[in-house]
Amino acid sequence: MTNALLDGYSDDGAVYDEMFDDAGAFRDDYRELGEQLARWSLDDHLQREERADLALLSAGITFNVYSEEEGTERIFPFSLIPRIVGAQEWARIEAGLTQRLQALNLFLLDIYGSRRIIKEHVVPEEIVLSSPGFQPEMKGFRPPLDIYAHIAGCDLVRDEQQGMVVLEDNLRTPSGVSYVLENRAVMLRVVPDLFPRWGVRAVADYPNQLMSMLLSVRPSDSNDPPRAVLLTPGLYNSAYFEHSFLSNQMGIPLVEGSDLTVGDDDVVYLRSTTGLERVDVIYRRIDDDFLDPEVYRTDSMLGVPGLMRAYRRGHVTLVNAPGAGVADDKVVYRWVPEIIRFYLDEDPILPNVETFSALIDSELDHIRAHARDLVIKPANASGGYGVLIGAQASESELEDTLAQVEAEPRNWIAQPLLEFSTIPTFDDDLLKPRRSDLRPFVLSGQDTWVIPGGLTRVALREGSYVVNSSQGGGSKDTWVLNEEPD
Amino acid sequence: MLSRVAENLFWLGRYLERAENIARMARVEHEVSLESGQEIWHSLVSTTASNQLFWNNLAESPDLTHSEFLIFSMDNPASLRSTLVRARELARGLREHISREVWEEINALYLYLALRKQYIASDIHEFCTETQRRTQTILGLYDNTVLRDEGREWFRCGMYLERADMTSRIIDAKYHILLPGGDSIGGPFDRFQWMAVLRSASAREAYRRMGNNEVDGLLVAELLVFSQEFPRSLAFCVQALLRHFQQATVLTPRRRRAAAERGVTLLHLDIGARDMEQLIEDGLHEFIDFFQQRLIDIDRAITDDIFRAEPGAGQSQRMATMDSG
Repeated sequence: MTNALLDGYSDDGAVYDEMFDDAGAFRDDYRELGEQLARWSLDDHLQREERADLALLSAGITFNVYSEEEGTERIFPFSLIPRIVGAQEWARIEAGLTQRLQALNLFLLDIYGSRRIIKEHVVPEEIVLSSPGFQPEMKGFRPPLDIYAHIAGCDLVRDEQQGMVVLEDNLRTPSGVSYVLENRAVMLRVVPDLFPRWGVRAVADYPNQLMSMLLSVRPSDSNDPPRAVLLTPGLYNSAYFEHSFLSNQMGIPLVEGSDLTVGDDDVVYLRSTTGLERVDVIYRRIDDDFLDPEVYRTDSMLGVPGLMRAYRRGHVTLVNAPGAGVADDKVVYRWVPEIIRFYLDEDPILPNVETFSALIDSELDHIRAHARDLVIKPANASGGYGVLIGAQASESELEDTLAQVEAEPRNWIAQPLLEFSTIPTFDDDLLKPRRSDLRPFVLSGQDTWVIPGGLTRVALREGSYVVNSSQGGGSKDTWVLNEEPD
Repeated sequence: MLSRVAENLFWLGRYLERAENIARMARVEHEVSLESGQEIWHSLVSTTASNQLFWNNLAESPDLTHSEFLIFSMDNPASLRSTLVRARELARGLREHISREVWEEINALYLYLALRKQYIASDIHEFCTETQRRTQTILGLYDNTVLRDEGREWFRCGMYLERADMTSRIIDAKYHILLPGGDSIGGPFDRFQWMAVLRSASAREAYRRMGNNEVDGLLVAELLVFSQEFPRSLAFCVQALLRHFQQATVLTPRRRRAAAERGVTLLHLDIGARDMEQLIEDGLHEFIDFFQQRLIDIDRAITDDIFRAEPGAGQSQRMATMDSG
């Protein structure tokens, strides 16, 4: 290849790159894209990038940054070069995620039910009970279809040796799917010439699948047809765009807590201009703690008083179920391979990252001895906050963190530093290798459905391992290739 | 329809209409003051009812001009910019109820406005023309791309209520020059002023097309109050408000819509029963006062009885029975 865009690509081969192999040649799945890109001049690229940004800005596809006053809305930086996943590899990912979510839902049903997995000493009891996501109110309650984690987003990264591995599960209110759909819409408009000959799997079916899933978990005494709503914390929530986008795509009301009321009959109603209308299914994008000031935080202005009463009496379904968060606890994560084997009697298709729990003496010893080779993470924070990368930390930072780990072993885990793969990404008009992860979304109702692709996030700073949007990450479209016809 | 959504659509209609009116009045005012050499911005500030606030703000920033206060100041809740920022904020929360086209146009107007860090007096004309053009685009898009459901009727109610209010303010600010007597002798300067009133209400062409050869203050007032054809007259706006209110409340229980419906109907009948001669006799200013007070009462009845009505304790039971029946 001889091209201003691609020639300068400084992939030193130390880290697996999704597009180029060690010899600097295109990998098979990227060849068509690469050849097309080689026809671009720098100007072509700059113009298209500008058009993409303008499209996102004028459509108001933005997220809110809490810490800033003026200009609190920003577009999620968007990078034109997509992540490509071949058809065969995708089939494996899809099977692996389906298996994982089936096992996690069985785990949730079990720990709020008979607790077989604890009685048989597969998962330590204290870990489950001490998880902040564990909700004692849910004990003995069976939600419709026995599903707790209806909507999940699993973060995958590629490790050179193991291939795609699961870095973490998000079972509370995972966000990002609206960017998957909007990124694709922008790509179709701005870079039609990059799409491959045999096309890529469409993602636009997600809202339909989501709607069918919501209706499938309706209460037994629901309206006919059932009424679903999306409950948002409101306009100033960082994911508000997504709430609005999804409710619009599904054609269901976007409501705030004050729009709902629970009657004396323990039924949830929506306040309308013509009176009260019964609500059957609530896709809630507010955390457990804020759902119902009668049960959880009494100072919550976001929730609906009496909501848990209505839920426990089976008059309304909450998606996801309260208490699902216990299964995405980073300490519980350590046991997910055991959980899959226990309930399904199968080996995990997608491996976990090797994880050490400070709660287990031998593993704590390992963390102490190999801190420089590990990433030490707080078990219950999100957005990449509080993460210590041993190899990059100063002596005093390392000591501080280790002291915290020993003081509160339940709250910390450690994992080897994954040299997860890079994808070429424009930075200062040059293509540079940037690390990225992939968050496919999994819907569980009557069946389990995985969106073909998902949200690819990239770290926009050189050498950075952090892809979170709140810390300056960007996103890419994800192309799952169609099978080539014979 | 969700009460909060209905209320917000009503206000989105009001703010967009208000922005269009402020931009139009400011543009006319700007041209008139340039040509006549008279600084008459202060009358526009009083038209939007924020005189006291202006003097308070002036005390803090002595360089503040009437035009900056009216157009750009975020300290003035009635300024063009404040109004558009609030309209956009509402629209952001209503995206699933307005079309993508409408949202993108509102957002584009917001970006056009927000990108301006500084107020530049020489940009008044461009700024007002552009805002007026874009708000009209939004209102047109709204009509052609948004589902004609209850929400659209509330949007229209807000729009016509606001338009009635703004036209009445335009009349009120100039009633002393429209009526015969006093300083008015029908000379070139009066005609110039009357033309300005017509332009402030987007009514110059309508006035001519209705066969008025002479520019006359009384005829101008008559058009702005009584015309059945001119879409900004008080009579037209009240009739449109009544129609859209009835459409919006087809399914609303009687006890919730009764007060507002009575208010709009009576106002509609009242205008129909008057004529210009009687208005002069009773006093144009007094009539405008009465008219504006009725609009406030209607707005309050809609808000209290429909948008924010608290359901009684027994009501949920009754509705549940109705739903299953």
